[in-house]
Amino acid sequence: MREAEVFETVVKILTPHAKNQAALAGVKMDTNILDDLKVNSARLVDVVLAFEDAFDIEIADEEVDSVNTVGDCVRLVLAKAS
Amino acid sequence: MGLPFLDRLGLLVQREVGRLLGPIWIPVGGAVLRWRYGWRILDTSAARREFRRLRRESSAPLLVCANHLTMVDSFLIAIALASPWWYVLNFAALPWNTPERDNFSRTWWLRIATWVMKCIPVERGGDRREIGRVFERFSWVLSRGDVGLIFPEGGRSRSGRVDADASTYGVGRVVKALPGCRVLCVYLRGEGQTTWTAAPARGERFRVLFASLEPKTEHGGMRGSLAITRQVLTRLAALETEWFDARQ
Repeated sequence: MREAEVFETVVKILTPHAKNQAALAGVKMDTNILDDLKVNSARLVDVVLAFEDAFDIEIADEEVDSVNTVGDCVRLVLAKAS
Repeated sequence: MGLPFLDRLGLLVQREVGRLLGPIWIPVGGAVLRWRYGWRILDTSAARREFRRLRRESSAPLLVCANHLTMVDSFLIAIALASPWWYVLNFAALPWNTPERDNFSRTWWLRIATWVMKCIPVERGGDRREIGRVFERFSWVLSRGDVGLIFPEGGRSRSGRVDADASTYGVGRVVKALPGCRVLCVYLRGEGQTTWTAAPARGERFRVLFASLEPKTEHGGMRGSLAITRQVLTRLAALETEWFDARQ
């Protein structure tokens, strides 16, 4: 799976949860999910489950602790899918 | 469990200080709830009997999960499950809990008080790694035989009712980290409580309902944590229905 593909899917999953549409328009690998995109932390579970379904992977609770940016998500998915 | 040495040491010191000061602060706390605010929990005998039975029958970790309407719920739930003097003699049974840091860090004395009272503060919506560390520390104290208390909804019920569909996973994360972990669901509500508040009204009379379960799931990862949390929330919602049915 290519990084660009994963990035695109990750952004698509984050889109309905992002309250800051301006940040979403210019989303990059170092965009912070909670601080920049303003995704409600309570919605994080839904986001993670959507990643699991979209990429057919299983993400442990502890792995979510180290996810802050869109790039963290992409790298985590790539590591899990490989 | 791979908790760093300094974290373990800090928790052991915190627990020991709380235990040594227990004969002072636990009865005083109970007396303040009863006489200063006039809060009374009715018919505690069945809940207390069940709590003692769970403690006696196994050394497996025990997690209390409760509905959440006010900032003093953890005190009230503790008193619903045992008398203050029983906790002085059975300090491990007095539940650890994870209050919102902002609510209990305004003054130095409040910070000290929460530290003595077996609290591991958490910043909800804060840094994920820090929240993860709180869960690890909380799970570690339970793995050593102490009881823990978590509000599965992750905050006070904004609708005044248990949100069985809340997208939270904390309970599941703790249960999965502790093989054989048992859960005691506790539903506590004042007769005059209609929604969430900072504190119950003076003179409020509470009634308590409870149910024990060992939540299980075939799922791993966060999906498994969510499934376990949902089982607990569903049981709490059922207790809530029972609570209201009994009042009609």
